Amino acid sequence: MHRRKRSATREFVATQRRARFSRLTLVVGQYILLTVASFVALFPLLWMVASSLKTPAELQVLPPVWLPAHPNLDAFGTVFSVIPYGQAFLNSFVIAAGDTVAIVLTSIMAGFVFAKYQFRGRDLLFYAVLATMFVPTIVTLVPLFHVIQAMDLVDSYPGVMLPQLANAFGIFLMRQFIRGVPDELLDAARVDGASEWTVLWRIISPLLVPAVATLVLFAFVYQWNSFLWPLTILQSQDKFTVVLAMSRLLSYTSSIQFQNVVMAGAVISILPNTILFLFLQRFFIAGLAQTGIKG
Amino acid sequence: MQLLWSGVFLVPGVGLIAVFVVVPILLTAWISLHQWSMYTPLTQMQFVGLANYQEVLSDPTFQQALLNTFIYSGVSIVLTVPLAVFFGIFLYRPAIRGRTALRMVLFSTYMVPTVAVAIVWGYLYSPLYGPFNEILSFLGLPSQPWLGSTSEAMVSLIILNLWQTLGYYTVLVLAGLTQIPQDYYDASAIDGAGLLGQTRYVTLPLLRRTLTFVVIIAGINTLQVFDPVYVLTQGGPVNSTNVLTYDIYQTAFQFGRAGAASAMAVLLLIVLAIVVPALLHVARED
Repeated sequence: MHRRKRSATREFVATQRRARFSRLTLVVGQYILLTVASFVALFPLLWMVASSLKTPAELQVLPPVWLPAHPNLDAFGTVFSVIPYGQAFLNSFVIAAGDTVAIVLTSIMAGFVFAKYQFRGRDLLFYAVLATMFVPTIVTLVPLFHVIQAMDLVDSYPGVMLPQLANAFGIFLMRQFIRGVPDELLDAARVDGASEWTVLWRIISPLLVPAVATLVLFAFVYQWNSFLWPLTILQSQDKFTVVLAMSRLLSYTSSIQFQNVVMAGAVISILPNTILFLFLQRFFIAGLAQTGIKG
Repeated sequence: MQLLWSGVFLVPGVGLIAVFVVVPILLTAWISLHQWSMYTPLTQMQFVGLANYQEVLSDPTFQQALLNTFIYSGVSIVLTVPLAVFFGIFLYRPAIRGRTALRMVLFSTYMVPTVAVAIVWGYLYSPLYGPFNEILSFLGLPSQPWLGSTSEAMVSLIILNLWQTLGYYTVLVLAGLTQIPQDYYDASAIDGAGLLGQTRYVTLPLLRRTLTFVVIIAGINTLQVFDPVYVLTQGGPVNSTNVLTYDIYQTAFQFGRAGAASAMAVLLLIVLAIVVPALLHVARED
Protein backbone atom coordinates (compact mmCIF):
# COMPACT_ATOMS: atom_id res chain seq x y z
CA MET A 1 0.00 0.00 0.00
CA HIS A 2 2.63 2.40 1.15
CA ARG A 3 5.02 1.34 -1.51
CA ARG A 4 2.48 1.70 -4.24
CA LYS A 5 1.79 5.24 -3.19
CA ARG A 6 5.45 6.08 -3.26
CA SER A 7 5.93 4.64 -6.76
CA ALA A 8 2.91 6.60 -7.95
CA THR A 9 4.47 9.77 -6.57
CA ARG A 10 7.71 8.96 -8.26
CA GLU A 11 5.95 8.39 -11.52
CA PHE A 12 4.14 11.70 -11.12
CA VAL A 13 7.41 13.53 -10.53
CA ALA A 14 8.93 11.83 -13.56
CA THR A 15 6.03 12.82 -15.78
CA GLN A 16 6.29 16.37 -14.54
CA ARG A 17 9.98 16.42 -15.26
CA ARG A 18 9.44 15.00 -18.72
CA ALA A 19 6.71 17.59 -19.40
CA ARG A 20 9.00 20.36 -18.21
CA PHE A 21 11.77 19.00 -20.38
CA SER A 22 9.59 18.86 -23.50
CA ARG A 23 8.27 22.34 -22.75
CA LEU A 24 11.88 23.51 -22.47
CA THR A 25 12.76 21.94 -25.84
CA LEU A 26 9.73 23.64 -27.33
CA VAL A 27 10.76 27.05 -25.99
CA VAL A 28 14.37 26.60 -27.11
CA GLY A 29 13.14 25.42 -30.50
CA GLN A 30 10.96 28.49 -30.80
CA TYR A 31 13.85 30.81 -30.08
CA ILE A 32 16.06 29.01 -32.56
CA LEU A 33 13.34 29.37 -35.18
CA LEU A 34 12.90 33.03 -34.27
CA THR A 35 16.62 33.67 -34.68
CA VAL A 36 16.96 31.76 -37.95
CA ALA A 37 13.88 33.44 -39.46
CA SER A 38 15.10 36.89 -38.44
CA PHE A 39 18.51 36.19 -39.89
CA VAL A 40 17.14 34.97 -43.22
CA ALA A 41 14.83 37.98 -43.43
CA LEU A 42 17.55 40.44 -42.50
CA PHE A 43 20.58 39.00 -44.27
CA PRO A 44 20.03 40.63 -47.69
CA LEU A 45 19.26 43.96 -46.02
CA LEU A 46 22.29 43.81 -43.73
CA TRP A 47 24.47 42.81 -46.64
CA MET A 48 23.10 45.75 -48.64
CA VAL A 49 23.99 48.18 -45.84
CA ALA A 50 27.43 46.60 -45.35
CA SER A 51 28.20 46.83 -49.08
CA SER A 52 27.18 50.49 -49.21
CA LEU A 53 29.86 51.21 -46.58
CA LYS A 54 32.71 49.40 -48.36
CA THR A 55 35.48 51.01 -50.36
CA PRO A 56 35.87 50.24 -54.10
CA ALA A 57 39.07 48.32 -53.26
CA GLU A 58 37.24 46.10 -50.79
CA LEU A 59 34.54 45.36 -53.36
CA GLN A 60 37.08 43.97 -55.82
CA VAL A 61 38.85 41.56 -53.49
CA LEU A 62 38.45 37.82 -53.93
CA PRO A 63 37.25 36.04 -51.88
CA PRO A 64 34.78 38.80 -51.04
CA VAL A 65 34.99 40.74 -47.79
CA TRP A 66 31.87 40.40 -45.61
CA LEU A 67 32.23 43.52 -43.50
CA PRO A 68 33.96 46.78 -44.41
CA ALA A 69 37.20 47.29 -42.48
CA HIS A 70 36.76 51.06 -42.44
CA PRO A 71 33.06 51.82 -42.99
CA ASN A 72 32.71 55.08 -44.89
CA LEU A 73 29.82 57.06 -46.29
CA ASP A 74 31.50 58.15 -49.55
CA ALA A 75 29.07 56.16 -51.67
CA PHE A 76 26.12 58.06 -50.21
CA GLY A 77 27.60 61.28 -51.60
CA THR A 78 28.61 59.72 -54.92
CA VAL A 79 25.12 58.45 -55.69
CA PHE A 80 23.82 62.02 -55.76
CA SER A 81 26.49 63.08 -58.26
CA VAL A 82 26.30 60.08 -60.66
CA ILE A 83 22.61 60.66 -61.28
CA PRO A 84 20.18 63.40 -60.13
CA TYR A 85 19.13 61.27 -57.17
CA GLY A 86 18.00 64.25 -55.09
CA GLN A 87 15.66 65.30 -57.88
CA ALA A 88 14.41 61.72 -58.18
CA PHE A 89 13.72 61.68 -54.46
CA LEU A 90 11.68 64.85 -54.76
CA ASN A 91 9.80 63.46 -57.80
CA SER A 92 8.93 60.25 -55.99
CA PHE A 93 7.81 62.15 -52.94
CA VAL A 94 5.52 64.52 -54.85
CA ILE A 95 3.99 61.67 -56.85
CA ALA A 96 3.54 59.23 -53.95
CA ALA A 97 2.29 61.83 -51.46
CA GLY A 98 -0.06 63.45 -53.98
CA ASP A 99 -1.53 60.10 -55.01
CA THR A 100 -1.90 59.06 -51.37
CA VAL A 101 -3.82 62.20 -50.35
CA ALA A 102 -6.13 61.81 -53.35
CA ILE A 103 -6.69 58.10 -52.68
CA VAL A 104 -7.59 58.77 -49.05
CA LEU A 105 -10.11 61.50 -49.98
CA THR A 106 -11.77 59.64 -52.87
CA SER A 107 -11.88 56.43 -50.83
CA ILE A 108 -13.54 58.02 -47.78
CA MET A 109 -16.23 59.62 -49.95
CA ALA A 110 -17.03 56.55 -52.03
CA GLY A 111 -16.70 54.25 -49.01
CA PHE A 112 -19.27 56.38 -47.15
CA VAL A 113 -21.83 55.97 -49.93
CA PHE A 114 -21.30 52.21 -50.20
CA ALA A 115 -21.54 51.82 -46.41
CA LYS A 116 -24.43 54.09 -45.48
CA TYR A 117 -26.60 55.06 -48.47
CA GLN A 118 -29.31 52.98 -50.07
CA PHE A 119 -30.06 53.11 -53.77
CA ARG A 120 -30.87 50.65 -56.47
CA GLY A 121 -27.83 48.95 -57.97
CA ARG A 122 -25.58 50.02 -55.08
CA ASP A 123 -24.19 46.57 -54.38
CA LEU A 124 -23.77 45.78 -58.05
CA LEU A 125 -21.76 48.98 -58.49
CA PHE A 126 -19.72 48.14 -55.40
CA TYR A 127 -18.83 44.69 -56.71
CA ALA A 128 -17.92 46.19 -60.08
CA VAL A 129 -15.54 48.58 -58.32
CA LEU A 130 -14.16 45.71 -56.25
CA ALA A 131 -13.49 43.65 -59.39
CA THR A 132 -11.10 46.33 -60.69
CA MET A 133 -8.84 45.47 -57.75
CA PHE A 134 -7.90 42.28 -59.61
CA VAL A 135 -6.98 43.94 -62.91
CA PRO A 136 -3.21 43.83 -63.52
CA THR A 137 -1.49 47.06 -64.55
CA ILE A 138 -0.30 45.52 -67.82
CA VAL A 139 -3.87 44.92 -69.04
CA THR A 140 -4.59 48.64 -69.30
CA LEU A 141 -1.07 49.83 -70.10
CA VAL A 142 -1.27 50.31 -73.88
CA PRO A 143 -4.53 52.31 -74.01
CA LEU A 144 -3.60 54.28 -70.87
CA PHE A 145 -0.34 55.33 -72.48
CA HIS A 146 -2.27 56.61 -75.49
CA VAL A 147 -4.84 58.38 -73.31
CA ILE A 148 -2.08 60.20 -71.43
CA GLN A 149 -0.34 60.92 -74.72
CA ALA A 150 -3.55 62.37 -76.17
CA MET A 151 -3.77 64.63 -73.12
CA ASP A 152 -0.18 65.70 -73.80
CA LEU A 153 0.88 64.56 -70.33
CA VAL A 154 3.61 62.06 -71.20
CA ASP A 155 6.75 62.69 -69.12
CA SER A 156 4.97 64.81 -66.48
CA TYR A 157 3.85 64.53 -62.85
CA PRO A 158 0.13 64.72 -63.74
CA GLY A 159 0.62 62.03 -66.37
CA VAL A 160 1.99 59.58 -63.80
CA MET A 161 -0.46 60.56 -61.08
CA LEU A 162 -3.77 60.89 -62.92
CA PRO A 163 -4.66 57.18 -63.25
CA GLN A 164 -3.65 56.54 -59.60
CA LEU A 165 -5.90 59.04 -57.78
CA ALA A 166 -8.50 56.46 -56.76
CA ASN A 167 -8.43 52.73 -56.20
CA ALA A 168 -10.73 49.89 -55.30
CA PHE A 169 -8.75 48.73 -52.28
CA GLY A 170 -9.09 52.14 -50.60
CA ILE A 171 -12.82 52.29 -51.24
CA PHE A 172 -13.22 48.75 -49.92
CA LEU A 173 -11.20 49.48 -46.78
CA MET A 174 -13.14 52.67 -45.99
CA ARG A 175 -16.50 51.01 -46.60
CA GLN A 176 -15.64 48.25 -44.14
CA PHE A 177 -14.70 50.78 -41.46
CA ILE A 178 -17.59 53.19 -42.02
CA ARG A 179 -20.07 50.29 -41.79
CA GLY A 180 -18.97 49.95 -38.18
CA VAL A 181 -19.99 53.55 -37.34
CA PRO A 182 -23.43 53.45 -35.64
CA ASP A 183 -26.29 54.99 -37.66
CA GLU A 184 -27.61 56.74 -34.52
CA LEU A 185 -24.52 58.92 -34.49
CA LEU A 186 -25.17 60.12 -38.05
CA ASP A 187 -28.89 60.57 -37.48
CA ALA A 188 -28.28 62.63 -34.34
CA ALA A 189 -26.05 64.98 -36.34
CA ARG A 190 -28.64 65.17 -39.13
CA VAL A 191 -31.38 66.06 -36.63
CA ASP A 192 -29.14 68.87 -35.44
CA GLY A 193 -29.16 70.19 -39.00
CA ALA A 194 -25.78 68.90 -40.23
CA SER A 195 -25.47 68.45 -43.99
CA GLU A 196 -24.21 65.17 -45.43
CA TRP A 197 -20.91 66.90 -46.14
CA THR A 198 -20.58 67.83 -42.47
CA VAL A 199 -21.67 64.36 -41.35
CA LEU A 200 -18.91 62.78 -43.43
CA TRP A 201 -16.04 65.13 -42.61
CA ARG A 202 -16.92 66.15 -39.03
CA ILE A 203 -18.64 63.09 -37.57
CA ILE A 204 -17.33 60.04 -39.45
CA SER A 205 -13.82 61.01 -40.53
CA PRO A 206 -12.42 61.57 -37.01
CA LEU A 207 -13.37 57.94 -36.26
CA LEU A 208 -11.40 56.62 -39.21
CA VAL A 209 -7.87 57.24 -37.92
CA PRO A 210 -6.77 53.57 -37.91
CA ALA A 211 -8.28 53.03 -41.36
CA VAL A 212 -6.67 56.14 -42.79
CA ALA A 213 -3.31 55.16 -41.24
CA THR A 214 -3.54 51.74 -42.87
CA LEU A 215 -4.53 53.19 -46.23
CA VAL A 216 -1.83 55.87 -46.12
CA LEU A 217 0.78 53.21 -45.48
CA PHE A 218 -0.43 50.93 -48.26
CA ALA A 219 -1.00 53.67 -50.81
CA PHE A 220 2.28 55.48 -50.19
CA VAL A 221 4.37 52.30 -50.22
CA TYR A 222 2.62 51.08 -53.35
CA GLN A 223 3.15 54.36 -55.21
CA TRP A 224 6.72 54.81 -53.98
CA ASN A 225 7.65 51.29 -55.11
CA SER A 226 5.68 51.40 -58.35
CA PHE A 227 7.79 50.69 -61.44
CA LEU A 228 5.89 49.62 -64.57
CA TRP A 229 3.66 52.67 -64.96
CA PRO A 230 6.37 55.32 -64.30
CA LEU A 231 8.69 53.36 -66.62
CA THR A 232 6.08 53.66 -69.35
CA ILE A 233 5.19 57.31 -68.90
CA LEU A 234 8.37 59.07 -67.69
CA GLN A 235 11.16 59.61 -70.20
CA SER A 236 13.57 62.33 -69.17
CA GLN A 237 16.01 61.75 -66.35
CA ASP A 238 14.99 64.81 -64.35
CA LYS A 239 11.44 63.39 -64.09
CA PHE A 240 12.51 59.91 -62.93
CA THR A 241 11.25 58.50 -59.65
CA VAL A 242 13.71 56.94 -57.20
CA VAL A 243 12.88 53.43 -58.39
CA LEU A 244 13.40 54.37 -62.04
CA ALA A 245 16.64 56.19 -61.24
CA MET A 246 17.83 53.12 -59.38
CA SER A 247 17.17 50.80 -62.30
CA ARG A 248 19.23 53.17 -64.49
CA LEU A 249 21.91 53.46 -61.83
CA LEU A 250 22.40 49.72 -62.08
CA SER A 251 23.06 49.86 -65.81
CA TYR A 252 25.43 52.83 -65.48
CA THR A 253 27.51 51.14 -62.86
CA SER A 254 27.54 47.49 -63.78
CA SER A 255 31.16 47.27 -62.71
CA ILE A 256 31.66 45.66 -59.30
CA GLN A 257 33.62 48.63 -57.91
CA PHE A 258 30.49 50.79 -58.04
CA GLN A 259 28.48 48.31 -56.03
CA ASN A 260 28.70 50.53 -52.95
CA VAL A 261 27.11 53.40 -54.89
CA VAL A 262 24.22 51.24 -56.12
CA MET A 263 23.72 49.82 -52.62
CA ALA A 264 23.77 53.32 -51.12
CA GLY A 265 21.02 54.24 -53.57
CA ALA A 266 19.04 51.19 -52.49
CA VAL A 267 19.47 52.03 -48.79
CA ILE A 268 18.21 55.58 -49.36
CA SER A 269 15.23 54.36 -51.38
CA ILE A 270 13.94 52.37 -48.40
CA LEU A 271 14.01 55.21 -45.87
CA PRO A 272 10.66 56.97 -46.53
CA ASN A 273 8.65 53.71 -46.39
CA THR A 274 10.47 52.62 -43.26
CA ILE A 275 9.89 55.91 -41.46
CA LEU A 276 6.21 55.89 -42.41
CA PHE A 277 5.88 52.28 -41.25
CA LEU A 278 7.45 53.03 -37.86
CA PHE A 279 4.98 55.87 -37.36
CA LEU A 280 1.90 53.97 -38.46
CA GLN A 281 2.58 50.36 -37.56
CA ARG A 282 0.59 50.37 -34.30
CA PHE A 283 -2.62 50.97 -36.29
CA PHE A 284 -1.68 48.47 -38.84
CA ILE A 285 -2.74 44.98 -37.75
CA ALA A 286 -5.96 46.40 -36.28
CA GLY A 287 -6.59 48.14 -39.57
CA LEU A 288 -6.07 44.99 -41.59
CA ALA A 289 -8.28 42.92 -39.32
CA GLN A 290 -11.16 45.29 -40.08
CA THR A 291 -11.08 44.65 -43.80
CA GLY A 292 -13.13 41.53 -43.24
CA ILE A 293 -10.27 39.23 -44.14
CA LYS A 294 -11.40 37.24 -41.16
CA GLY A 295 -11.51 33.52 -40.55
CA MET B 1 -31.48 64.28 -51.60
CA GLN B 2 -29.45 61.20 -50.70
CA LEU B 3 -29.18 60.38 -54.36
CA LEU B 4 -27.64 63.78 -55.04
CA TRP B 5 -25.08 63.30 -52.28
CA SER B 6 -24.38 59.77 -53.53
CA GLY B 7 -23.46 61.32 -56.85
CA VAL B 8 -21.25 63.98 -55.28
CA PHE B 9 -19.36 61.46 -53.15
CA LEU B 10 -19.12 58.70 -55.76
CA VAL B 11 -18.04 60.63 -58.83
CA PRO B 12 -14.41 61.36 -57.86
CA GLY B 13 -13.53 57.80 -56.80
CA VAL B 14 -15.74 55.67 -59.00
CA GLY B 15 -15.48 58.11 -61.92
CA LEU B 16 -11.68 57.95 -61.91
CA ILE B 17 -11.76 54.16 -61.74
CA ALA B 18 -14.23 54.07 -64.63
CA VAL B 19 -12.11 56.36 -66.81
CA PHE B 20 -8.69 54.93 -65.95
CA VAL B 21 -9.44 51.24 -65.44
CA VAL B 22 -12.76 50.19 -66.99
CA VAL B 23 -12.54 52.20 -70.21
CA PRO B 24 -8.91 51.13 -70.85
CA ILE B 25 -9.93 47.47 -70.41
CA LEU B 26 -12.54 47.91 -73.12
CA LEU B 27 -10.01 49.73 -75.30
CA THR B 28 -7.52 46.88 -74.83
CA ALA B 29 -10.18 44.41 -75.97
CA TRP B 30 -10.95 46.67 -78.96
CA ILE B 31 -7.28 47.09 -79.92
CA SER B 32 -6.77 43.32 -79.66
CA LEU B 33 -9.04 42.90 -82.68
CA HIS B 34 -6.90 45.20 -84.81
CA GLN B 35 -3.55 45.33 -86.40
CA TRP B 36 -1.94 48.51 -85.17
CA SER B 37 1.57 49.79 -84.59
CA MET B 38 2.09 51.84 -81.44
CA TYR B 39 3.89 54.47 -83.50
CA THR B 40 1.15 55.22 -86.01
CA PRO B 41 -2.03 57.24 -85.39
CA LEU B 42 -5.26 55.55 -84.36
CA THR B 43 -6.70 55.99 -87.86
CA GLN B 44 -4.17 53.47 -89.18
CA MET B 45 -5.78 50.73 -87.14
CA GLN B 46 -6.95 47.78 -89.25
CA PHE B 47 -9.65 45.37 -88.15
CA VAL B 48 -8.36 41.80 -88.30
CA GLY B 49 -10.88 39.93 -86.11
CA LEU B 50 -9.30 37.25 -83.98
CA ALA B 51 -6.12 37.03 -86.04
CA ASN B 52 -4.00 38.47 -83.21
CA TYR B 53 -5.24 35.74 -80.85
CA GLN B 54 -4.45 33.07 -83.40
CA GLU B 55 -1.00 34.47 -83.96
CA VAL B 56 -0.23 34.93 -80.27
CA LEU B 57 -1.47 31.50 -79.21
CA SER B 58 0.65 29.76 -81.82
CA ASP B 59 3.73 31.82 -80.96
CA PRO B 60 6.24 29.62 -79.07
CA THR B 61 7.64 32.65 -77.19
CA PHE B 62 4.21 33.48 -75.83
CA GLN B 63 3.51 29.84 -74.97
CA GLN B 64 6.79 29.75 -73.08
CA ALA B 65 5.93 33.01 -71.28
CA LEU B 66 2.52 31.64 -70.31
CA LEU B 67 4.06 28.44 -68.98
CA ASN B 68 6.81 30.36 -67.11
CA THR B 69 4.22 32.62 -65.51
CA PHE B 70 2.14 29.66 -64.30
CA ILE B 71 5.23 27.96 -62.91
CA TYR B 72 6.38 31.13 -61.15
CA SER B 73 2.93 31.76 -59.73
CA GLY B 74 2.11 28.15 -58.80
CA VAL B 75 5.40 27.37 -57.11
CA SER B 76 5.37 30.70 -55.27
CA ILE B 77 1.88 30.06 -53.88
CA VAL B 78 2.59 26.47 -52.90
CA LEU B 79 5.68 27.61 -50.97
CA THR B 80 4.38 30.89 -49.54
CA VAL B 81 0.96 29.99 -48.17
CA PRO B 82 1.96 27.11 -45.84
CA LEU B 83 4.97 29.09 -44.61
CA ALA B 84 2.80 32.14 -43.96
CA VAL B 85 0.35 30.00 -41.95
CA PHE B 86 3.22 28.46 -40.02
CA PHE B 87 4.81 31.81 -39.13
CA GLY B 88 1.40 33.37 -38.52
CA ILE B 89 0.47 30.75 -35.92
CA PHE B 90 3.96 30.91 -34.46
CA LEU B 91 3.91 34.69 -34.08
CA TYR B 92 0.32 34.76 -32.81
CA ARG B 93 1.15 32.71 -29.73
CA PRO B 94 1.76 35.14 -26.90
CA ALA B 95 4.36 33.07 -25.04
CA ILE B 96 7.36 34.17 -27.07
CA ARG B 97 9.42 37.25 -26.47
CA GLY B 98 10.72 39.08 -29.50
CA ARG B 99 7.80 38.18 -31.74
CA THR B 100 6.79 41.83 -32.22
CA ALA B 101 10.32 42.41 -33.43
CA LEU B 102 10.16 39.45 -35.83
CA ARG B 103 6.78 40.61 -37.06
CA MET B 104 8.31 43.94 -38.00
CA VAL B 105 11.40 42.34 -39.50
CA LEU B 106 9.24 40.04 -41.63
CA PHE B 107 7.09 42.87 -42.82
CA SER B 108 10.04 45.17 -43.51
CA THR B 109 11.03 43.18 -46.60
CA TYR B 110 7.71 44.11 -48.14
CA MET B 111 8.43 47.83 -47.75
CA VAL B 112 11.54 47.64 -49.93
CA PRO B 113 10.89 48.55 -53.58
CA THR B 114 10.99 45.36 -55.65
CA VAL B 115 13.51 47.02 -57.95
CA ALA B 116 15.85 47.56 -54.97
CA VAL B 117 15.28 43.96 -53.85
CA ALA B 118 16.11 42.76 -57.35
CA ILE B 119 19.30 44.83 -57.46
CA VAL B 120 20.47 43.54 -54.06
CA TRP B 121 19.65 39.94 -54.97
CA GLY B 122 21.40 40.35 -58.29
CA TYR B 123 24.59 40.91 -56.31
CA LEU B 124 23.75 38.12 -53.82
CA TYR B 125 23.41 35.70 -56.74
CA SER B 126 26.53 36.98 -58.48
CA PRO B 127 28.61 33.92 -59.49
CA LEU B 128 32.00 35.39 -58.67
CA TYR B 129 31.62 37.93 -55.84
CA GLY B 130 28.23 36.78 -54.58
CA PRO B 131 27.75 35.81 -50.93
CA PHE B 132 25.45 32.89 -51.79
CA ASN B 133 28.16 31.01 -53.65
CA GLU B 134 30.57 32.02 -50.92
CA ILE B 135 28.28 30.37 -48.34
CA LEU B 136 27.91 27.28 -50.54
CA SER B 137 31.65 26.88 -50.87
CA PHE B 138 32.05 27.36 -47.11
CA LEU B 139 29.64 24.44 -46.68
CA GLY B 140 31.65 22.45 -49.20
CA LEU B 141 28.94 22.63 -51.86
CA PRO B 142 29.55 23.45 -55.53
CA SER B 143 28.96 27.01 -56.80
CA GLN B 144 25.72 27.62 -58.68
CA PRO B 145 25.18 29.74 -61.79
CA TRP B 146 21.87 31.07 -60.32
CA LEU B 147 20.44 33.71 -62.67
CA GLY B 148 22.93 32.78 -65.37
CA SER B 149 21.52 29.38 -66.26
CA THR B 150 18.28 28.34 -67.93
CA SER B 151 17.62 25.75 -65.25
CA GLU B 152 18.15 27.96 -62.20
CA ALA B 153 17.10 31.46 -63.23
CA MET B 154 13.39 30.87 -62.58
CA VAL B 155 14.05 29.21 -59.22
CA SER B 156 16.25 32.16 -58.28
CA LEU B 157 13.42 34.60 -59.04
CA ILE B 158 10.97 32.49 -57.01
CA ILE B 159 13.29 32.49 -53.98
CA LEU B 160 13.61 36.27 -54.26
CA ASN B 161 9.81 36.59 -54.35
CA LEU B 162 9.39 34.23 -51.41
CA TRP B 163 11.82 36.28 -49.36
CA GLN B 164 10.14 39.55 -50.20
CA THR B 165 6.48 38.64 -49.79
CA LEU B 166 6.39 36.03 -47.01
CA GLY B 167 6.24 38.69 -44.29
CA TYR B 168 3.31 40.43 -45.92
CA TYR B 169 1.29 37.22 -46.19
CA THR B 170 2.22 36.31 -42.62
CA VAL B 171 0.76 39.64 -41.50
CA LEU B 172 -2.44 38.86 -43.42
CA VAL B 173 -2.65 35.48 -41.67
CA LEU B 174 -2.06 37.21 -38.32
CA ALA B 175 -4.91 39.60 -39.04
CA GLY B 176 -7.13 36.59 -39.73
CA LEU B 177 -6.03 34.86 -36.53
CA THR B 178 -6.99 37.84 -34.36
CA GLN B 179 -10.57 37.31 -35.59
CA ILE B 180 -10.85 33.80 -34.15
CA PRO B 181 -12.55 34.00 -30.72
CA GLN B 182 -10.37 32.78 -27.84
CA ASP B 183 -13.35 30.68 -26.58
CA TYR B 184 -12.80 28.21 -29.42
CA TYR B 185 -9.27 27.56 -28.23
CA ASP B 186 -10.36 27.30 -24.61
CA ALA B 187 -13.11 24.83 -25.51
CA SER B 188 -10.76 22.69 -27.59
CA ALA B 189 -8.17 22.79 -24.77
CA ILE B 190 -10.76 21.42 -22.35
CA ASP B 191 -11.45 18.66 -24.86
CA GLY B 192 -7.76 17.86 -24.63
CA ALA B 193 -6.54 19.24 -27.96
CA GLY B 194 -2.86 20.14 -28.09
CA LEU B 195 -1.26 22.71 -30.36
CA LEU B 196 -1.43 20.40 -33.36
CA GLY B 197 -5.04 19.45 -32.69
CA GLN B 198 -6.04 23.05 -32.25
CA THR B 199 -4.32 24.00 -35.48
CA ARG B 200 -6.00 21.17 -37.34
CA TYR B 201 -9.53 21.51 -35.95
CA VAL B 202 -9.85 25.16 -34.92
CA THR B 203 -7.33 27.42 -36.63
CA LEU B 204 -7.24 26.08 -40.18
CA PRO B 205 -11.01 25.70 -40.71
CA LEU B 206 -11.69 29.17 -39.30
CA LEU B 207 -8.84 30.61 -41.32
CA ARG B 208 -10.28 29.42 -44.60
CA ARG B 209 -11.50 32.80 -45.84
CA THR B 210 -8.22 34.45 -44.93
CA LEU B 211 -6.31 31.74 -46.76
CA THR B 212 -8.45 32.08 -49.88
CA PHE B 213 -7.81 35.80 -49.76
CA VAL B 214 -4.07 35.21 -49.39
CA VAL B 215 -4.05 32.76 -52.31
CA ILE B 216 -5.92 35.26 -54.50
CA ILE B 217 -3.64 38.17 -53.62
CA ALA B 218 -0.55 36.00 -54.10
CA GLY B 219 -1.95 34.73 -57.39
CA ILE B 220 -2.68 38.22 -58.74
CA ASN B 221 0.71 39.52 -57.63
CA THR B 222 2.73 36.65 -59.04
CA LEU B 223 0.78 36.42 -62.32
CA GLN B 224 1.83 39.99 -63.09
CA VAL B 225 5.48 39.75 -62.01
CA PHE B 226 7.59 42.25 -63.94
CA ASP B 227 10.13 44.23 -61.91
CA PRO B 228 12.71 41.51 -61.07
CA VAL B 229 12.53 40.13 -64.62
CA TYR B 230 13.10 43.57 -66.13
CA VAL B 231 15.97 44.37 -63.78
CA LEU B 232 17.73 41.01 -63.55
CA THR B 233 17.14 38.72 -66.52
CA GLN B 234 15.23 40.54 -69.30
CA GLY B 235 13.39 37.26 -69.77
CA GLY B 236 16.59 35.28 -70.30
CA PRO B 237 18.62 33.25 -70.45
CA VAL B 238 16.95 31.89 -73.61
CA ASN B 239 13.43 32.90 -72.57
CA SER B 240 13.62 30.82 -69.40
CA THR B 241 12.29 33.71 -67.28
CA ASN B 242 10.18 35.42 -69.90
CA VAL B 243 6.84 36.02 -68.18
CA LEU B 244 3.52 37.36 -69.44
CA THR B 245 3.79 40.96 -68.27
CA TYR B 246 7.34 41.26 -69.55
CA ASP B 247 6.40 39.70 -72.88
CA ILE B 248 3.40 42.04 -73.28
CA TYR B 249 5.50 45.07 -72.34
CA GLN B 250 8.19 44.14 -74.87
CA THR B 251 5.69 43.36 -77.61
CA ALA B 252 4.00 46.75 -77.17
CA PHE B 253 6.74 49.15 -76.19
CA GLN B 254 9.79 47.53 -77.80
CA PHE B 255 8.29 46.14 -81.00
CA GLY B 256 5.25 48.44 -81.21
CA ARG B 257 2.82 45.58 -81.89
CA ALA B 258 -0.12 46.99 -79.96
CA GLY B 259 -2.67 44.54 -81.39
CA ALA B 260 -0.74 41.41 -80.44
CA ALA B 261 0.17 42.84 -77.02
CA SER B 262 -3.47 43.64 -76.34
CA ALA B 263 -4.57 40.14 -77.32
CA MET B 264 -2.05 38.78 -74.79
CA ALA B 265 -3.36 41.19 -72.14
CA VAL B 266 -6.93 40.06 -72.76
CA LEU B 267 -5.86 36.43 -72.42
CA LEU B 268 -4.28 37.25 -69.04
CA LEU B 269 -7.48 38.95 -67.97
CA ILE B 270 -9.51 35.90 -69.03
CA VAL B 271 -7.29 33.64 -66.94
CA LEU B 272 -7.89 35.89 -63.91
CA ALA B 273 -11.61 36.13 -64.63
CA ILE B 274 -11.82 32.35 -64.40
CA VAL B 275 -9.45 31.71 -61.51
CA VAL B 276 -10.48 34.46 -59.06
CA PRO B 277 -14.27 33.83 -59.00
CA ALA B 278 -13.60 30.08 -58.81
CA LEU B 279 -11.45 30.60 -55.70
CA LEU B 280 -14.04 32.94 -54.15
CA HIS B 281 -16.68 30.30 -54.79
CA VAL B 282 -14.62 27.66 -53.03
CA ALA B 283 -14.18 30.01 -50.07
CA ARG B 284 -17.89 30.69 -49.70
CA GLU B 285 -18.87 27.02 -49.64
CA ASP B 286 -19.07 25.71 -46.14
